[in-house]
Amino acid sequence: MSVLAIPRLHFPSTLVLGATLLALIVTAAIVGIWVTPYDPTVFAVRFRLQAPSLLHPFGTDEFGRDVLSRILAGAHLSLATGFGAMAISLVVGVPLGLIAAFHRGAVQEVIMRAVDLLIALPPVLLGLLVLAVTPPGLFKTIAAVGLVYVPILVRLTRAVALGLLEEDFVQAARARGEGALPILWHEILPNAWPPIIVECGLRVTFAILLGSALSFLGLGPQPPASEWGLMIAEGRDFLTQAPWVCLAPGLSLCVLLVSVNLVGEGLRERLDPHLRGRAHA
Amino acid sequence: MPDALTVKNAALDIEALSVAYPSRGGWLQALDNVSLAIPPGGVLGLVGESGSGKSTVVLALLGLLGPAARISAQRLNFDGHDLLREAPMLRGRRIGVVFQDTAAALNPALTIGSQLTEPMRLHLGIEPRLAWERGTDLLAELGVPRPAHVMRSYAHQLSGGMKQRVGIATALAGEPDLLLLDEPTTALDVTIEAQILSLLDDLRVRRSLSMLLVSHNLGIVDRLCDSVSVLYAGRMAESGTTRAVLHRPRHPYTKGLLAALPRPDRPHAGRLAPIPGGLPDLTKSDPGCNFRSRCAFSAAGCEQPQALRGVVHQVSCHRVDDVADESWPVEAEPPANSIAPRARLPLLQAESLSIRFGGGGWISRMLGKSAGVLAVDHVSLSIRTGEVVGLVGESGCGKSTLGRLMLRLLPARTGTLNFGGGAVEPEASRDFRRRAQIVFQNSDTSLNPRQTVGTILGRAVRWFDMATGAAVAAEVDRLLDLVRLPRSYATRYPHQLSGGEKQRVGIARALASRPEFLVCDEAVSALDVSVQAAVLNLLRDLRDELGVAYLFISHDIGVIAHIADRVAVMYQGTIVEEGPVDDVLHPPYHPYTELLLSSVPLIGRERRDSPAPSTGAVAASQGCKFAARCARKLGPVCDTLAPPVQQAGPDHAIRCHIPLSELAAVPHWLGPPA
Amino acid sequence: MPIAVFLLQRLAGLVGVLLGMSLLIFGIIHILPGNVAYAILGEFATPAAVAQLEVKLGLKDPLPLQYWHWLDAMLHGNFGQSIVMNRPAAALIGEALGRSALLAGFAFALVAMGGIALGLYAATHRGQASDKVLTLAQFVLIAVPEFFWAIVGVLFFASWLNLLPATGYAPMSEGIGSWAAHLVLPVMVLSFGLVAHVSRLTRSSMIEVLDSRYVLAARARGFAEQRVLWRHALPNALLPAITVLAIDAGLLIGGIVVVETVFAYPGLGRLLVFAIERHDLPLLQVGMMVVTAIYAVANFIAEVLYAVLNPRIRVGGAAA
Repeated sequence: MSVLAIPRLHFPSTLVLGATLLALIVTAAIVGIWVTPYDPTVFAVRFRLQAPSLLHPFGTDEFGRDVLSRILAGAHLSLATGFGAMAISLVVGVPLGLIAAFHRGAVQEVIMRAVDLLIALPPVLLGLLVLAVTPPGLFKTIAAVGLVYVPILVRLTRAVALGLLEEDFVQAARARGEGALPILWHEILPNAWPPIIVECGLRVTFAILLGSALSFLGLGPQPPASEWGLMIAEGRDFLTQAPWVCLAPGLSLCVLLVSVNLVGEGLRERLDPHLRGRAHA
Repeated sequence: MPDALTVKNAALDIEALSVAYPSRGGWLQALDNVSLAIPPGGVLGLVGESGSGKSTVVLALLGLLGPAARISAQRLNFDGHDLLREAPMLRGRRIGVVFQDTAAALNPALTIGSQLTEPMRLHLGIEPRLAWERGTDLLAELGVPRPAHVMRSYAHQLSGGMKQRVGIATALAGEPDLLLLDEPTTALDVTIEAQILSLLDDLRVRRSLSMLLVSHNLGIVDRLCDSVSVLYAGRMAESGTTRAVLHRPRHPYTKGLLAALPRPDRPHAGRLAPIPGGLPDLTKSDPGCNFRSRCAFSAAGCEQPQALRGVVHQVSCHRVDDVADESWPVEAEPPANSIAPRARLPLLQAESLSIRFGGGGWISRMLGKSAGVLAVDHVSLSIRTGEVVGLVGESGCGKSTLGRLMLRLLPARTGTLNFGGGAVEPEASRDFRRRAQIVFQNSDTSLNPRQTVGTILGRAVRWFDMATGAAVAAEVDRLLDLVRLPRSYATRYPHQLSGGEKQRVGIARALASRPEFLVCDEAVSALDVSVQAAVLNLLRDLRDELGVAYLFISHDIGVIAHIADRVAVMYQGTIVEEGPVDDVLHPPYHPYTELLLSSVPLIGRERRDSPAPSTGAVAASQGCKFAARCARKLGPVCDTLAPPVQQAGPDHAIRCHIPLSELAAVPHWLGPPA
Repeated sequence: MPIAVFLLQRLAGLVGVLLGMSLLIFGIIHILPGNVAYAILGEFATPAAVAQLEVKLGLKDPLPLQYWHWLDAMLHGNFGQSIVMNRPAAALIGEALGRSALLAGFAFALVAMGGIALGLYAATHRGQASDKVLTLAQFVLIAVPEFFWAIVGVLFFASWLNLLPATGYAPMSEGIGSWAAHLVLPVMVLSFGLVAHVSRLTRSSMIEVLDSRYVLAARARGFAEQRVLWRHALPNALLPAITVLAIDAGLLIGGIVVVETVFAYPGLGRLLVFAIERHDLPLLQVGMMVVTAIYAVANFIAEVLYAVLNPRIRVGGAAA
């Protein structure tokens, strides 16, 4: 089936469920930047490594900081990594893919060979490489993760655009003598975005995973930031005594990832013509 | 001729078969009370347009409808076995099947030989070595050249015709008594189709096979079948002997189907008679006649349930006797306002156009392996104002490419193009783009699915400055009127339209700039016959109303004969014959034209084999490209010397070495000229 | 000779990727802002010390020359010297590589076999309860990061049940039991997400094949369902699995870096992280180069395997 079929208009339950969860997390993350039950950075060594209780639902860490407050205060970091990286790869990858589709010849060769090269680096390594030389930080993590997904989006965009360029409605526009830009704007883009969005939806999960892995390795936001991957890394030393210090951010990360994954999957169910064709088979 | 409906112990005996599928709109009644019978050795044609449920019958007989389908039947017997229970035991052994798309029906990972011998080994218990020999013999029997080599090949290495022969061989490998053929030739060229049909006819006699031929093509049903059943939207409309049903149709739907068919033996036969409307919604149960909303003869009583009446020739229509002598009404001819027919001036002249395709990767290029293929080889063709030139040929002959070259949509390697007195440069001017437009085959991909009909048409209108501002909407209305669509359609999206409606939008878009020349690239090929007739009528009317010239590209000689003034016959990138329709359809013909015409399955033509062509060898680089397949090849001269152009009449040119007198001394394959 | 042309093309591609990769790695390390010598010596190093180090490392040479020296040395088997540990990088990497290969080998085998088996099972039980449970499990497993599994695993098997060692590596010489016990958790953790990934993609490719015309045709020829599945569907469904496994080899490499860090497992991943933390750039450069070369070769093997198993590429062309 072509990529052109119009999606049927109903929202699958996965999308609703995922979007609801994600909306809650995003709200908590935004509020958490300013408002948390306790100050997430102030030490209270007297209360260090306290087990979860009514006062501290997720317990306290080795400096006596409230884990829940730290999770809330750090939530926006994971979200920013995932969505920021995706935005970067969209902004860089989609135009490059379109250029490669429209300009056969030298320009295409250069772009596609660069893509081959970047794709030949395992994802984490590309991140490691970028973060190895310069002092780490949130924006560098976002950029490194974004760079990982640029080649994937270039390839996808190019493939989708090349497919669309063969379609008869594009030929019809060419037969009218329209140039590349109007064809791109009116004929290609409106049909190209669903598969691109679907891909991005599914990739956000991996982007958050990759970002948190880099943070876990110490190559993301630096202390005292409460990025969840970093919190897990810091809590590892007290794993046996105070497992909540690791488990709480870990579980939060899992809930976030599952809800993002649900949204991605839901978008796919809604927009991917291949899946829709098979629903009744 | 055995009569299916009076034979008592039929090989296949279906009584009241109903099948429903779950769908989003509820249960979809794909088959409703269908009864069929095939006597031993008989061939039944099951005819219907898309959505009639004919393929569902095949799957039901094989027990392959899947777990979701709800199936019921009073009887579903094959040779005394109940297929509802025993189909899994009988399929592949006593019942063989050939599917439409053999390319997809052959396993890409297994050799032909292993797929062919598998049923022999499993069902007949033949040991592998012997099975391999028998498989090779079977391929030879089916006319496959180099069978031993093909046995070791994979599906992707074979041509379409070969794949279909292999498909038939795998169906025969289990030595069945009944062969189910689901659109067995639909994907094939007409010359290959003719070969497959003769082969099937042959097999039937040699192996005393019963066959169920499922097809939308009335011509091949007439060619092969003893009896015919006509299916409409899951119900039986009519059944009887082939002669009775196709030559004296009694059900209004059958009458309509036959009236809508453009026939090569009746060129310029006036307007065709389309069937209005579309299929009913099969999720809504309707006890009355399900054809009544489209029927030209509907009257009181049609809303009552219709039973099949009659003994031998059965018809499910209560008005069968009232309409017995009536034929399906033809659309009224629009008021004649055509431009003076013979004041035709040269409009477009293509001189020696060619294009080369292919090349492969850089390594192949480095090794000098790929010179590419001349898809169009120095072709000259001219079209006059208001003239319809038909371009006919088999798939891959370069006819679509030529059409695009003539619009400067592809870069030509050689040649010039003149339009309206001026040369058209390789970078075509805006003026040329405005005056020369194109209509595509596949209406599903020719309209941008994310734009409304109004936007699609409006964009073309604006682009060519035909109107601005508020006047655009009026211009869109005018275009919709022109293609006989309601103006309200401007707000619809393509997926809300039927195939025929989409094609009308495609035509309207091409007409937006008021062009003088249209390339119609297989513009009606994807449509069902009843819808195709309406679009063909529309295109003819538009020609008369607007004086547009068409290059009408089609593989269907019936369509070409119906609409074209002149015809060009194309073979492997060259035009082998060109002339007025009546001249080209009658001798003298080019041997290739003769092969095409003799291969067309014509209703009512005596079964006569076409001049035996040799099977596709590669064309010689010099000489005549058709020489390798030509049944009347003279000798080495055909391979070495480019054939001369012979004038067979005013405007009628044939490129062939054979003298005209000999070319004229051949049968009139379409019957004598009117 | 389509297969020969194909091989030649891919081989040229492999060489190209390796060359490009060396340029990329070298470029990122040397061009990104941040002075290498300062990075090694720390921000408060004296200019004299920095200058001295720069000369020692050849950092005063023009970049193309530095690159050429590095590449030329590598081609001659000289992988340079670790600055921090003052040992030849080749020896360090060699030891670590062996231990990582152990981890990766077990995990990859588990992923390939487990993922494909589960995917096939789910596809052939489409829509049934077991398929739905598997789909749900895959869904969650894909979304859970390795280091979370790692802490859960350590907590459960090491701290509470005291069944397995929490971290570290034991050489075979300390007994096969201890050796195996140290491998269990890292391998499991490494495999979880990837098994889910492979099984999900195998399921969809198998379902596509099961819905194909040729499987319908095989059923129509009256073969038993088992035969249809194993002989007609499976070979076609496994072909895309090769590509999926190649992708997963890349993910596995990423996973190894994380898992080795969590479990303090002395492999190549940990060595790389160490090199980054301590700014041991010569070691990092070569380590990166080795890892990407392994990945590139893995991809090359996958492509060749795909071509060999796919008649369309292997045989090519038309026969009749």
